[in-house]
Amino acid sequence: VVPGETALAFYKAKNPTDKPIIGISTYNVVPFEAGQYFNKIQCFCFEEQRLNPQEEVDMPVFFYIDPEFAEDPKMAKVDSITLSYTFFEAKEGQHLALPGYQ
Amino acid sequence: MSTAMNFGAKSFKPRPPDKGAFPLDHFGECSAFKERFMQCLRDSGFQSGACRERAMAYLECRMDRQGAQLMANEPLEKLGFKDLIDEKSEAKPEK
Repeated sequence: VVPGETALAFYKAKNPTDKPIIGISTYNVVPFEAGQYFNKIQCFCFEEQRLNPQEEVDMPVFFYIDPEFAEDPKMAKVDSITLSYTFFEAKEGQHLALPGYQ
Repeated sequence: MSTAMNFGAKSFKPRPPDKGAFPLDHFGECSAFKERFMQCLRDSGFQSGACRERAMAYLECRMDRQGAQLMANEPLEKLGFKDLIDEKSEAKPEK
């Protein structure tokens, strides 16, 4: 991936149970300092997603690395950035503290 | 969630995506496009830049869905594909 160039990545999620699950995901970027350069244009996160029993879906993320990443001396040794997602089951009445969105 | 127990260090603040969330493609309507994109990635040794045309085709698939749109219509130039669009229109002037 080249900083500044938009890129597409896919994750896959499966609901192995026999009940529909409503989940919501959040993400993490490692190394921590690279996270500020990671810009998501669109992804499947931050909104509840419903997976039916046994359903398996592709989850796309459309993103780019800020071109300023290439200028930051602290990032000089960083040649690999890992993006990971964690899914939480959304429970009725519970509200994840989501950043101001929408 | 990451609990980095180093007090004083900044904690990671997730930011929502610029253009919002992708609805799930429950019926796999764009799976073929996704497969072609993934095949390209495998063939190119996972060079994202080599597969931008197929990435663009996947996003176009999402936008083109009648009925349940899988992605809001957005000019592809604004999604970082301007150079590919310009190439396309040079190749087909009558389009």
